[in-house]
Amino acid sequence: MDISRRDFLQIAAALGLVSVTNGYATTLGGKSPADITLKDLYDFNDTGKLTLLHICDMHAHIKPLYWREPSTLISAPNLVGTPGFLCGEAFAKHYGLEPSSLDAYFDTYMDFTALAEKFGKMGGIAHMKTLIDTITKQRGKSNTLLLDSGDTWQGTGVALKTGGEAIVKAQNYLGVDVMVGHWEFTYGKERVLELIDKLDAKFISQNIIGDDPFADEYEELIFEPYTIEERAGAKIGIIGQSFPFTSTANPKEFTEGWSFGLRLDTLQEYVDELRKEHKVDCVVVLSHDGFSVDQEVARKVDGIDFILSGHTHDPSPKPIVINDTVIVIAGSHGKYVGRLDIDIKEHKIKGYEYKLIPVASNIIPADPAGEKLVNALYAPFDKEFNAVLGKTKGLLYKRDTFFSTFDQLINDAIMDEMKCDISFTPGYRWGTTVLPGDDILMDNVYEMCGITYPNVYTFELKGERIAQLLEDIADNVFNANPLYQQGGDMSRLGGVTYDITVGNPTGKRISNLKVGGKPIDPKRTYIISSWGGNLQNAGENLQKEKIRPVYDVVRDYIRRKKVVDVSNAGNVRLLDYDCGCPSKGGSC
Amino acid sequence: MKRRSFLQAVGLAAAASAVVTPSIAFAAEKPKGSNEMGIDAALKALTGGKKITPSSKVHLKAPEIAENGAVVPVSVEVDSPMTPDDYIKGIHVFATKNSNPRTVDIMLTPANGKATFSTRIKLGSTQEVLIVAETSKGEFLSASQSIKVTIGGCG
Repeated sequence: MDISRRDFLQIAAALGLVSVTNGYATTLGGKSPADITLKDLYDFNDTGKLTLLHICDMHAHIKPLYWREPSTLISAPNLVGTPGFLCGEAFAKHYGLEPSSLDAYFDTYMDFTALAEKFGKMGGIAHMKTLIDTITKQRGKSNTLLLDSGDTWQGTGVALKTGGEAIVKAQNYLGVDVMVGHWEFTYGKERVLELIDKLDAKFISQNIIGDDPFADEYEELIFEPYTIEERAGAKIGIIGQSFPFTSTANPKEFTEGWSFGLRLDTLQEYVDELRKEHKVDCVVVLSHDGFSVDQEVARKVDGIDFILSGHTHDPSPKPIVINDTVIVIAGSHGKYVGRLDIDIKEHKIKGYEYKLIPVASNIIPADPAGEKLVNALYAPFDKEFNAVLGKTKGLLYKRDTFFSTFDQLINDAIMDEMKCDISFTPGYRWGTTVLPGDDILMDNVYEMCGITYPNVYTFELKGERIAQLLEDIADNVFNANPLYQQGGDMSRLGGVTYDITVGNPTGKRISNLKVGGKPIDPKRTYIISSWGGNLQNAGENLQKEKIRPVYDVVRDYIRRKKVVDVSNAGNVRLLDYDCGCPSKGGSC
Repeated sequence: MKRRSFLQAVGLAAAASAVVTPSIAFAAEKPKGSNEMGIDAALKALTGGKKITPSSKVHLKAPEIAENGAVVPVSVEVDSPMTPDDYIKGIHVFATKNSNPRTVDIMLTPANGKATFSTRIKLGSTQEVLIVAETSKGEFLSASQSIKVTIGGCG
């Protein structure tokens, strides 16, 4: 259906109202939510014999959750409104989503609270398993592969407390065949290798090389760079690409002696090796580069048939094709399973078909074995995780380029306890969503800050250094060349307001920077509290006695407050766009 | 320095601390040795003002984002037959924004067989790394790449 943007917004607004007042909305030309059946979700135009099932960025969410997509997703002007930088209204328009539909609920922030009550939670391994098994049974086990683009072992309390092991058990239960990594490495090298021993899947990466000159593995690959799997009578070459910037985005000490990077030259060599020496029928790159970086990879490396991407958490209902390479990415938090059917005849790819299937937990029944497994994995921690800390008045969510309510709550907690001038909370894209009026559980706090380096550090920084660091972080997010981005969002700042012109050159984006309502003084020393980054390494006079894990700081704050009421008015004014989700060209 | 701004500088310094003397304002400009040249002067010192031509014969391999700015791996290979009448005489690595942009000078002869080497350089900030190769015919060929040095912080 072809409708103009204006019409679309009007309809969306009208339906939004309808859904709130009547508790029932009809979708435009589609089925009403109540009529969506399992059959609709499974419906697929079967193609060829081979099926690749793809998951990415589950962030250890083995239970269903609410996860609201961003309402602000800004990038450099050349990238705004392109796949990887689409949200809300622009996303719905680009992919032709029907307002208030199940897809709109899964893929956008629009009407989230009302639709959450209608459609329920998303993901969870028990529901994923039912979906995966149904497809595997239909297509045949010998014709199907389950590929995981990483960021799977970290992101919840149960993952943190078991050193990632609970999630490895979940992957073995799902039947993951091959994976790559990023946050996996924050358990440290030794633990990663231990977990890989327990993992049924193969862990591959062509872009991790030893760089300790005194180690046996100096200049050697740490993992197998690729694997060749025979399925559906074809040879599938799968090359692994772990997150190229792990050692800068996360503390170096976890991967000391391992060097990361994009390594496009060796990627090209492995593509050629698979084709010429191993005569594979299909070359797949299983990647944690990020959706926009992988579009650059496809431009620069020849001969890749499919890139199964991850890291940037984009749900992309349609594949994109660049330089004959088809790129897909399957959202985050276990919300989706991507199904890619490939038709290979006479060693050539004749066609493919793709669908991003939402794991709607109210529609896809849970596999009882999965529920049992989840309960068993959580049992030792139930008492701590289920503790009710308080209630939230408004929606607590994580994401958006500059600000989100759950991050603000964390900043409020840090500022309250640490008595600092400025707090920094990282711009990760994983976390959770708590609906208005709901209890906040300890489990939710772990979902927001469950990492292996949780300490809040309090230290001093000069005003000019703070301004410089903010510009540096802004360039990691807004560089016009995706290869120089790190795929996260801006750090979230408490106690600070600023204006930003994203399209300005490096070092000149931020203006009107204020601390505590007053213009920042370049020469003054400010007290900073920060967690989850490397910022403390730039600071001075670290206050050692104040160091505490962020999840404890947040827990205690919510308990003190009992009811939290976080305003959704952000602290950042965006000067070059009029909305958070611009279309291509910047129009709103 | 103009008299007025000089007086202001002295006044400010005096206001900040009674011990501070205005010696900074009087300091003569530092002498410019071979390690004190800016990028333009350093390039001129190498080429004598001759043209530097970007060339696909010069291959630079370096990370897009440095894992550690103190030791950034850089590999260079220059296509050349390396025969007595056609070879690469020297390869020079410039960190264009370091206070000393000259980081490595490698001299070669045809006996090297291949014009290639790898090293690690220190980068003070995000900047362009420039490779200049001098041929036996006196031409200067170049390649460059921007390398980001960042404290990181996303994920």
